[in-house]
Amino acid sequence: MPEQFEALRLELRQRGVAPLYVERTVAELTAHLADLESAARAAGLSDAEAERVARATIGDDRAIAAAILGRPELLAWSTRYPRVAYCLQSAATIGTLPGLPLVFCIEHRPELARWVASLGIAVTIVGGLMAALNALIVLV
Amino acid sequence: MAQTNPPFLSGVPELIVLRMLSGREMYGYEIVKAMRLVTGEAIGFGEGVIYPVLHSLEETGALKARRKSVNGRERVYYSVTSKGKRRLEHLSGEWKRVSTGVNSALGGAVGDPEHA
Repeated sequence: MPEQFEALRLELRQRGVAPLYVERTVAELTAHLADLESAARAAGLSDAEAERVARATIGDDRAIAAAILGRPELLAWSTRYPRVAYCLQSAATIGTLPGLPLVFCIEHRPELARWVASLGIAVTIVGGLMAALNALIVLV
Repeated sequence: MAQTNPPFLSGVPELIVLRMLSGREMYGYEIVKAMRLVTGEAIGFGEGVIYPVLHSLEETGALKARRKSVNGRERVYYSVTSKGKRRLEHLSGEWKRVSTGVNSALGGAVGDPEHA
């Protein structure tokens, strides 16, 4: 049954309704539809007819979406105040930038350890060779 | 001085929902059934539009909601808060004022020299 209102859920999410109210609306509509179907069956309608009557009684998805979108208090904070949201998002991004190399290092610890080990070995070998050459030059 | 209240005429659903819930807590389907019963089905609407009204009233603090499992079904029960009671009183008063004015107008004052 939950897929009954999947299109409505998607539309509400896309139009910026607060996720809490999207999920609440879909859950409550689903329960309401089940109640209407039960009542229609109890009144003697067949399953198919009860389903059709219940869906008609609950109303068109577009009308429900319009009723929700007409109430700004049900919209997500970022939809109600988009400019403030953009500013905060930008500030957060700028604030995060200096920490990104550290995050990169933490996330790629094995690669970083291998790289440090390789560099250490290379420095040791090259340094050893140069010291040996230096010693040869000095001694000879 | 003439009082104005532009949002009032679009606040009729809120008024009726608050009135329905002033007696006891109910869930959406129950509220719609009660509304149909007390209004004699005079107000026609797709039942799904009750939920934006309920959520809006909850968001503004006029209603509070709680989840309850009844006969294996999850229900969201709504009840009126003290803020909601004050809003109901205010809306009822406004409605009486407006309906008195409309009734007076329908009583024949317009264009009737006797009532002028």
